[in-house]
Amino acid sequence: MVFPTDDNVLVGLNRADDAGVYRVSDALALIQTVDFFTPVVDDPYWFGQIAAANALSDVYAMGGVPKTALNLVAFPGQSMDLAVLRAIIQGGIDKLKEADTVLIGGHSVEDQEIKYGLSVTGFVHPARIRTKGGLRPGDCLVLTKPLGTGIINTAIKAGLAEDRTIERVTRLMAALNRTAAETMAGFRVHACTDITGFGLVGHLAEMVAGTDIGVRLHATAIPLLEEAKTFAAMGLIPAGAYKNRTHRQEMVRIGDRVERAVADVVHDPQTSGGLLIGVHPADADALVKALQDNGTDAAAVIGEAQEQPKGWIELE
Amino acid sequence: MKEIDARGLACPAPVLQTKAAIELEGAVDIQVTVDNPAAQQNVQRFMESKGFSTRLDSEGGDYHITGHAAEGAAGAPTSAAAPAKRTPQDEHQRIVVLCATDRLGSGDDVLGRKLMINFIKTLKEMGPDLWQLIFVNNGVKLAIDDSPVLDELKAYEADGLTILVCGTCLDHFNLLERKKVGTTTNMLDIVTAMQLADKTISL
Repeated sequence: MVFPTDDNVLVGLNRADDAGVYRVSDALALIQTVDFFTPVVDDPYWFGQIAAANALSDVYAMGGVPKTALNLVAFPGQSMDLAVLRAIIQGGIDKLKEADTVLIGGHSVEDQEIKYGLSVTGFVHPARIRTKGGLRPGDCLVLTKPLGTGIINTAIKAGLAEDRTIERVTRLMAALNRTAAETMAGFRVHACTDITGFGLVGHLAEMVAGTDIGVRLHATAIPLLEEAKTFAAMGLIPAGAYKNRTHRQEMVRIGDRVERAVADVVHDPQTSGGLLIGVHPADADALVKALQDNGTDAAAVIGEAQEQPKGWIELE
Repeated sequence: MKEIDARGLACPAPVLQTKAAIELEGAVDIQVTVDNPAAQQNVQRFMESKGFSTRLDSEGGDYHITGHAAEGAAGAPTSAAAPAKRTPQDEHQRIVVLCATDRLGSGDDVLGRKLMINFIKTLKEMGPDLWQLIFVNNGVKLAIDDSPVLDELKAYEADGLTILVCGTCLDHFNLLERKKVGTTTNMLDIVTAMQLADKTISL
């Protein structure tokens, strides 16, 4: 397929990335992204917040500042109380306020199944775009949120998660990546993405596929939700995690000593996951400390980029 | 045999049906049929988390997972039925080494004792495939205070290896107080371990 393009398309469809970027002038580029999905939690207000945090995240992952947003709504208005829809949209609005982003429109359709999300536009200086490419040998990989939300959401669907687990994972998914993005701006960041449906390994694969670089992950350093390990052992793993693993198995090597639950969680699809930041090794510790000081408690160095083996993801 | 047809169901429904059959109905022999690999792996993981031994058969696009409860599985698992710490990956074998002597081979006892020391020290080369080490009869003398391989065995145990020591044998030799490593066990645990193992090596 050939996509229409022009010289001002700085990030387009030729290489997978979090959002498109279009140059307006030498000092300004627009970041555009859209994301929507079916409810991940029962509470409509929290679902709205999570959907908005997730849509905003792509702008943060590109190193930008979100400015405007449009709602995308599918709702069974004939059969369901409109108060549910209002609560969803209120959740979205409150999250946009937290991100200093304005809602300037939207569109809704009648549908059997609820879907909500947003199209978000952000600003970035063309020289400060953070793409998935750009990782250099020796760079440290920093992850800002713990993994395991897909597994826990499966456990919630199964009715097996405790209330405090539900609350914890809900807050985690609704947490903006804003602070993490603002914090990383002060460091030598060479690449960035956010962890969503393809899981940690899938998004890392997009960073290294077809490049001259590989990565090594340290299983014990990866922040993850403890409950996710328990539920993974019980077989409460979403089908998407198995698909992710099969899709990338030819570029992934998992060491014998890696705990099985960790090997599961690295493929777990995340909803509104954290940022994965490739940073100059000399800046890594300071970045992690700054992230933690700013409230991103789970931030940790989880591995590093290496020259060999090229195109491989090693988990040890 | 409890049979469940969970074809056409998406995760987590097949696991929930399996869970209900095991926990509510007390099924100890169970066969679950699913039609997608994610459900297959999830159901198998669930059964294993309950201490069941499992077998997988594929037929067309269907997967039959047959589970059998090990002794004490659904309740408090015995040491033999507990999920093995040293086998986090499917691809590892479960090897049981049954040691009924404190010397290796027959002929010269001095040589036999030396060989046994060397054997125990070299066992670690099996890596995570080594699942359980069981001492019976004269073998229990390797697990007591003056054993020449006590330090090695303690290191293996700290590393997650299950070491079982026959209680009847310790009692027979009047060594119950002198056992310094491993869990005192009974014949049922030993037999269950052998049943669950992919391979048993006996000396």
